Amino acid sequence: MATKDKHPDIIFLGQPNCGKSALFNAIAGLKVETSNFPGTTVKHTHSEVNVAGKVFNIIDLPGTYSLNPSDEIEKVALSHLFFEEPDLIINVVDASILGRSLELTQELIELGYPMVIALNMMDLAEKKGIKTDIQKLEKLLGVPVIPTVAIHGRGIKELLVTALQTLEERRPISPLKWTRDVEDKVEEFQRAIPENFLVVGNRRFAAIKMLEVGKRFFNQTLKDMSPDLKKARDKVRDDLENMHGVPAYEVIAAERHHLAAKIFEESSEVVRIRKISWLERVDDIIMHPFLGYLILLAVFLAFFFIIFQVGNPLEELLLNPISGLRIFLSGQLGTGILFYLLDGLLQGIGGGLAIVLPYFLPLLFLMSFLEDIGYLARTSFLMDTFMHRIGLHGKSVSPFILGFGCNVPAIISTRILESRRDKVITTLLIPFIPCTARTTIILALVAFYLGPVWALGFYVFNIILLGVLGKIISFFYKGPSPGLILEIPSLKIPSLKNIWKKTYFQLKAFAKFAWPVLIVGSVVLGIMQFFHLDRVINVILSPLVERALGLPQELGVTLVFGFLRKELSLIMMLQALGVDYHNLMSVITKEQLIVFTVFVSFFIPCLSTVAIIWREVGKKIAFLSMGLNIVVAIILSILIRIFLTLS
Amino acid sequence: MIRLTDAPIDRRLKIVRIGGGHRIHRKLLSLGFHKDDIIELDSRSILRGPVLVRGLTSDTSVALGRGIARNILVEIVGDKR
Repeated sequence: MATKDKHPDIIFLGQPNCGKSALFNAIAGLKVETSNFPGTTVKHTHSEVNVAGKVFNIIDLPGTYSLNPSDEIEKVALSHLFFEEPDLIINVVDASILGRSLELTQELIELGYPMVIALNMMDLAEKKGIKTDIQKLEKLLGVPVIPTVAIHGRGIKELLVTALQTLEERRPISPLKWTRDVEDKVEEFQRAIPENFLVVGNRRFAAIKMLEVGKRFFNQTLKDMSPDLKKARDKVRDDLENMHGVPAYEVIAAERHHLAAKIFEESSEVVRIRKISWLERVDDIIMHPFLGYLILLAVFLAFFFIIFQVGNPLEELLLNPISGLRIFLSGQLGTGILFYLLDGLLQGIGGGLAIVLPYFLPLLFLMSFLEDIGYLARTSFLMDTFMHRIGLHGKSVSPFILGFGCNVPAIISTRILESRRDKVITTLLIPFIPCTARTTIILALVAFYLGPVWALGFYVFNIILLGVLGKIISFFYKGPSPGLILEIPSLKIPSLKNIWKKTYFQLKAFAKFAWPVLIVGSVVLGIMQFFHLDRVINVILSPLVERALGLPQELGVTLVFGFLRKELSLIMMLQALGVDYHNLMSVITKEQLIVFTVFVSFFIPCLSTVAIIWREVGKKIAFLSMGLNIVVAIILSILIRIFLTLS
Repeated sequence: MIRLTDAPIDRRLKIVRIGGGHRIHRKLLSLGFHKDDIIELDSRSILRGPVLVRGLTSDTSVALGRGIARNILVEIVGDKR
């Protein structure tokens, strides 16, 4: 944010999965997605709110376990926190794992900005038998603490009132003290920092961070800036290591760890011996070394069939009136430009409504459901061993699964991966995952005309393809991969409100960005058809479309539009062939239908996907990805064509 | 002292040493897994897959890849409750 307005900035910060986004949503309205998967807020979201007549900028930062970043998502959070000095921090803390959460809280207190703690998920903590004395916790931390249950909107008002007060008072907060010998060493180094040295937060915070940091480039920078300071830092580091027999960063982390445990013990009591809840029993089955995989398989089969069972009748229901309207139009208008224009418009609007939405909506809903209950993180655990076979590890599973929704957020979410190699390989593979747009094509063409078993076969084939490609890419791209370290959040009872919000949020994004493209694309094709411009493109592409793939020449132009959005290929296919949905099979054969679906699915990542790959991993990988997709699509389509004609 | 990958499922374990690179070590520290902490092995996946570990101090469950878990040394301190 280059231009900072005069409204105070309030930052929401907390560990992943602490309900921070839910809290932010409760305050800001419908702005960010919340989920039960660590690391869903990958970039910050901000919003303006009005509290008691005062306007604030509230900013939701991605969750971070500590102020020492280990992946790109955490870096986003920290660079914002360090460079855009906020007026107030709201530290969202999961009350059900208070002990651990207080480690980040301590770091924020070290930073010294005005702060309020939202002690969230109080309901869950109560269920676990944890009883926290709020006043005592406030006293121990020196920061106001407000209990909240974000998903039910409890405590929100009190939180805002306290935030307002804290903001006005600008009450300074003082750091919590560690054991004497460590504290002395920190002070010793703090004194060595020159007066004019630019620091974030305060001098003590800067001293601690310089002692903790592990980045080689930082050490070099420090040496270049002030060799004396680096010498002083190295001495204190060595002293700490010699005193405790572990690296300095571990000495400091252990101080926070022990202090957190102490504060937790003094402020909270665990009132009853925890019995195993039924959710934990379910969890044991889901994560079972054998049953877990059966359930995983069943979940994805069910996923697929539910979408088809809901989508198929809905599609039929919506298509009929649109077909009727089209026949009526052609009867009224003949073949003038007006017909082509209106027909394009109708195909665009109707296609989005009748062909895309019936499958898109249940898919979004089910995805949100799996995410909300916490199943996504569990699939990472279950799939880790298989991911190793293709040179990746379990953390790549969640970007892959998100890819079934849309490739764009899937590629953004590869930021959770720590190594560049894993990120690049995952990014190259994601465009081969059938996103909603492609699922729509598969369901609307393959499942609708050939039956759901064919569509399922297509998916199985797709997953095998993914494995083979992964194996090939990792063969050429070797490098260190740190392996899986992933928090598995506790299973949650799904909140219908939460799921619906998330579905609605994504649906809105579709209506706002994708649908207009569908409509404009269809209208442009209508105009092109009137002036016979589409024929030029078709002729240019005919060696590929007609010769190599054996498809009707008219489909050439739909591929060009398919680059904009994949659904466009489907909707324009009907328009280009001049038939409505029910009569499609009268103009092309079953084999052609399959070849077309295969080719459209794989031939190129859509424009937005290419753009996001470019932004996330660079131009070279973006071009590599396009090339890879085109080559794979052509080879596969030709092979399948040969196979189908032989059999 | 045994490797976490060889530890029994039904016992309480104490972390003796966290090996591997400092990046992995730091990540585990930030997730609340420290030397001397008491943990339990909750599940072991098939085909040399990852392990699921629950830290009793921090009350956090994490999935750890086999390569990482192998470098964590633990000692058996008692039975699970």
